[in-house]
Amino acid sequence: MQKAASKGRLLFYISIMKKILLAAICIIFKITTASAQADTLVIDENNKYIYYQVVAQAASTADTLHARALTFAKKAFVASKLKFKDSDKGTIRATGGVLVSKKSSLAMHEDARIDYTMTIEVKENRYRYWFTDFVIVPYQRDRYGNFVPLSGKNLALEKGLSDLSKKDFDGYTARLLANVKDIGNRLTVYMKAPVAPVKKEVKKASIPATNW
Amino acid sequence: MKKILLLSLIALGTLTVKAATIGSTNKLTMVADTGDTPLTISGSVDAYYKYDFAKSSQIGTSFASDHNSFSIGMVDIALKKTTGKTSFVGEVSFGPRGQQQSIPAGAAGDSYHIQNLYVNFAATDELTFTMGYMGTFIGYEVISPAANFNYSTSYLFTNGPFQNAGFKATYAFSPKVSLMAGIFNDGWNAYTSGGKVDNFGAQLFVSPVDGWNAYLNVITGYSAGTEFDLTTAYQITDAFKLGLNAADYKLPSYAGKGGFSGIALYPQLGVSKSVTLGLRGEYFKAKATTTAYSSIAPGTSVTALTATANIKSGNLTIIPEFRLDNGSATSFLNKSGMPTKKASQALLAVVYSF
Repeated sequence: MQKAASKGRLLFYISIMKKILLAAICIIFKITTASAQADTLVIDENNKYIYYQVVAQAASTADTLHARALTFAKKAFVASKLKFKDSDKGTIRATGGVLVSKKSSLAMHEDARIDYTMTIEVKENRYRYWFTDFVIVPYQRDRYGNFVPLSGKNLALEKGLSDLSKKDFDGYTARLLANVKDIGNRLTVYMKAPVAPVKKEVKKASIPATNW
Repeated sequence: MKKILLLSLIALGTLTVKAATIGSTNKLTMVADTGDTPLTISGSVDAYYKYDFAKSSQIGTSFASDHNSFSIGMVDIALKKTTGKTSFVGEVSFGPRGQQQSIPAGAAGDSYHIQNLYVNFAATDELTFTMGYMGTFIGYEVISPAANFNYSTSYLFTNGPFQNAGFKATYAFSPKVSLMAGIFNDGWNAYTSGGKVDNFGAQLFVSPVDGWNAYLNVITGYSAGTEFDLTTAYQITDAFKLGLNAADYKLPSYAGKGGFSGIALYPQLGVSKSVTLGLRGEYFKAKATTTAYSSIAPGTSVTALTATANIKSGNLTIIPEFRLDNGSATSFLNKSGMPTKKASQALLAVVYSF
């Protein structure tokens, strides 16, 4: 009788351990899968560069995330860096660009702008976003000492090496990656906070008029 | 089984820590990005060797002036800074091209070295105000060798304004259409007015298709006369670009009848990643009856053909160029010093831009 009870307890413990192990493996697998999304520019199935991220955000409805993503797309950056384009049923689209410089250049000025589109999609408790359609717009010096877009010489990023040296291309993509990561990081902040962007306030010092 | 479980929990703990690190973005604030840029520096250095086949310089356009000489152009440095809605550009230059050949002297005869010195205020995304001393908005060619394809310059460039000091407003109706209007000092190429601000200038920019830009310009005033100018360029294919400049200038009424008109065509063909070949064909006429322009006498004309190559290696551009000018009258001298209708020159220039 005792043997039977002991055997039953053993089977029970084994069953519990199996469940814990299964749960642990599932969690490990899920986290591994999540971290497998490349934190860099990759080539997608259309042979285009893409930066793609999925972010889980518990206890957030799709409507809430949509509203916050909309605020982000409209308010987070100046229009040249990110400009709201349109939104539709859980999808928000924006366009923007980042100024880049050649590494071979001695001076710090714009050599080109890389334009992109950003798409944000929201669902219950998660959202994803990606940057793609990267286009290099070369810049040239104008008569006023500014560097301005060179009309008619746009080049898809995928063809960048046909016009640029490897060193310059690597410099461009490194700057581009840092820029889209910065936008992504800022998006996570907007998605967590329900309020509109706030301005930094300077605290006014209180200076006693008489009793000092 | 216990070991497996323990290892699993350790792995889980490690990944949880890693996830917390990745997710630690709460240092960022929600303050909107302002678009400020750091101070940027750009510029160029140029030098050349020219040989005029008359054995003395005959073609009276700007720059590349010295015959049979290794000569310098200029060192040019431009600073720019944008803070919020405001920005400035300050551009200084040193050397023949950057001093007496392109900018006025100061009151004491010294050079201020200033090519551009102005401040911008972007009132809205569409409307910008600019005030200061600016490179002119008239014409196809410019002073900076880094922004020109040909090293020698056209008659239209040489005889038009180089800079205009004033105040202008630019409104962008869209990325494809904008209008600039402004008031400028009474004299072209002067840091200060002669006592009046009586020039009006305007520029209509249109971009009918991607790669095609066109500028319709006018500057007019009692003191300096009136110039209408069309400048346009179309990047027709990745390799082929066609530019056009046409202008008509009329002297102010107190200076009598006269002026100039002309047209220049700029076809350019990229033959490799680093080599582009180009031509400039120009017809230029000095109107009767009072003033000569670049040694082209009143009532006469000149046709100039310039073949230029741009060979790029990194920041360096090597520019071999051959030019043949053919006048309707004997505007030049030959190597014997006798009047002739023809002049020709060859040059090799190097331009390093940064």
